[in-house]
Amino acid sequence: MLEVNNLNTCYDFLHVLWDVSLVINEGEYVCLIGPNGAGKSTVLKSIAGLIEIKSGEIFFKGISIGDKKGDQICRMGISLVSEEMNLFTGMTVMENLSMGAYTIRGKKKKEALMNFVFELFPRLAERRIQLAGTLSGGERKMLAIGRSLMSDPSLLLVDEPSLGLAPRVVDTVFQALEVLNKKGVTIFLVEQNVTKTLQVVDRGYVLERGKIVLEGSRVELSRNEHIRKIYLGV
Amino acid sequence: MKKFQDRIGLSMPGLLFGVFLLLLPWFPPFNKEYILRWLIAALIVGASAIAFDFSGGFIAVINFGFMGFFGLGAYTSALLAIRFHLSPWLTIFIGALSPAILGLLSGLVSLRLRGMMILCFTWFVGLALMGLATKLVFLTRGSLGLPCPTLYKTASNVPYYYTILGMMFVTYLVMKLVIQSHYGLAFRAIGQNMEAARTSGINPLKFRVVNFILACAFAGWIGGFYAHYYGVLTPDLMSTAKTTEVLVIAYIGGRGSLWGGAVAAVPFVFAMEVIRSVLSDMPGLNLIIYGLFLIFVMLYYPGGLAEGYRKIVAKLRVKEIAQH
Ligand SMILES: Nc1ncnc2c1ncn2[C@@H]1O[C@H](COP(=O)(O)OP(=O)(O)O)[C@@H](O)[C@H]1O
Ligand SMILES: [Mg+2]
Repeated sequence: MLEVNNLNTCYDFLHVLWDVSLVINEGEYVCLIGPNGAGKSTVLKSIAGLIEIKSGEIFFKGISIGDKKGDQICRMGISLVSEEMNLFTGMTVMENLSMGAYTIRGKKKKEALMNFVFELFPRLAERRIQLAGTLSGGERKMLAIGRSLMSDPSLLLVDEPSLGLAPRVVDTVFQALEVLNKKGVTIFLVEQNVTKTLQVVDRGYVLERGKIVLEGSRVELSRNEHIRKIYLGV
Repeated sequence: MKKFQDRIGLSMPGLLFGVFLLLLPWFPPFNKEYILRWLIAALIVGASAIAFDFSGGFIAVINFGFMGFFGLGAYTSALLAIRFHLSPWLTIFIGALSPAILGLLSGLVSLRLRGMMILCFTWFVGLALMGLATKLVFLTRGSLGLPCPTLYKTASNVPYYYTILGMMFVTYLVMKLVIQSHYGLAFRAIGQNMEAARTSGINPLKFRVVNFILACAFAGWIGGFYAHYYGVLTPDLMSTAKTTEVLVIAYIGGRGSLWGGAVAAVPFVFAMEVIRSVLSDMPGLNLIIYGLFLIFVMLYYPGGLAEGYRKIVAKLRVKEIAQH
């Protein structure tokens, strides 16, 4: 479904991603793990079209999207969830969700999507007319995911959903992602919480200093010496 | 009907404010012609502040050449009325087209940039327009001033007062309806978080340009009224100082409120006129006071009048609930 070949990305003179290649198949739940500053968020932003890529190719459903802008990529069915980029803090929960569904035509479909989001996160339903800026950290994450779902994506890119959340809320978020994956949404998850991540995903990649250093199934990664030592601390 | 009222944000205080403005010219001292002239000047600025806020308060685009677009509308309308002997009532509408077209062109160039760059670019456009109005003497008579026909034959200011009041209301109405629409949602989204708007499938450039065109068209339309009210145009009406005046009033009124500028305009223009006449031997001091006042508002009341109003309403609600 998604194929990234030899992706290189720079911020001005800072070369962040070096020949990153990865593949995500339809319906899969794949993770990208790595230390802080490795370039994980940059990978997601490159795919979502929020930063220009320097070289390499990105294919989504067979179509090259490397030079497309973020709004076009969104309309093709890729949605990025990241707290910093996803919320309109001066808008209500409802308005944020409506924004997520901006490209969806048809009132019925929008309503169905909104009902689905409220089913997934009942807390949001109670806070329909609250400003997003006044939500708690966990609620913001839920809203960020909800907002992405409103565009009815086939590929969801999720950037560190557990960051700064209490363990109970982390569970809620992870459960929601699993529900989505079961419903057929392909998920590419970036996470620091490796223990938890390796319990839920199908496969994973490890990114260090802008390079993919390791890839494998959940079982392979869980057993890998390097991962156990550096990321799982055992 | 109720729904329409909500959509245009019509409330009891808003209605009272409207009635107040409608009755104002009948009560002394406001029935004096020279005070009416002040009031009309204030309403011109108020209507402009609404159009200014439509860009500034929603898509976070500060049009620092605002009065350039205003003046372009004014000159276009005046020249059409003079050269082709058209009625000013017609030319103020045709005149609004030229700033709209310029808004489209300059928007396509500048609106893909970041806020500060847009500000500089529009400033440049405004200065260029003023330069052209000064230099193209064969067309505009430069700083000699371009006399043009007026809207009414009477010397009374009352019909002009009601005309600009109506135009201010129409400006508010149209812009409010747009803001409440599907487009308005996108405008606000772009203003708050452009990246997030992009990840929602919105092309920020497209929406910004649409917004900018509309704001420029209204600027030019109000400019047309200016031309055919004063009956003479000089290039300095497009100066940055005049834009600053509109900006200050839009900010004091409250960014993103639309109505704030209209409410702030009358008292503020009055206060500034008084200060200007009191300090008439120290020209420029009034501009410094403007600047200081703006800094004060931005630091301590960034939401302006509109924010204060919202807070009062919220407090009253809480009290009401507590009483039940
Ligand atoms: N907007 C930016 N401008 C310049 N450098 C950036 C920017 N965003 C990230 N970087 C740099 O790129 C590198 C990778 O960042 P990022 O992709 O956010 O890492 P991660 O998400 O893995 O923590 C870091 O060295 C970071 O400092
Ligand atoms: Mg990151």
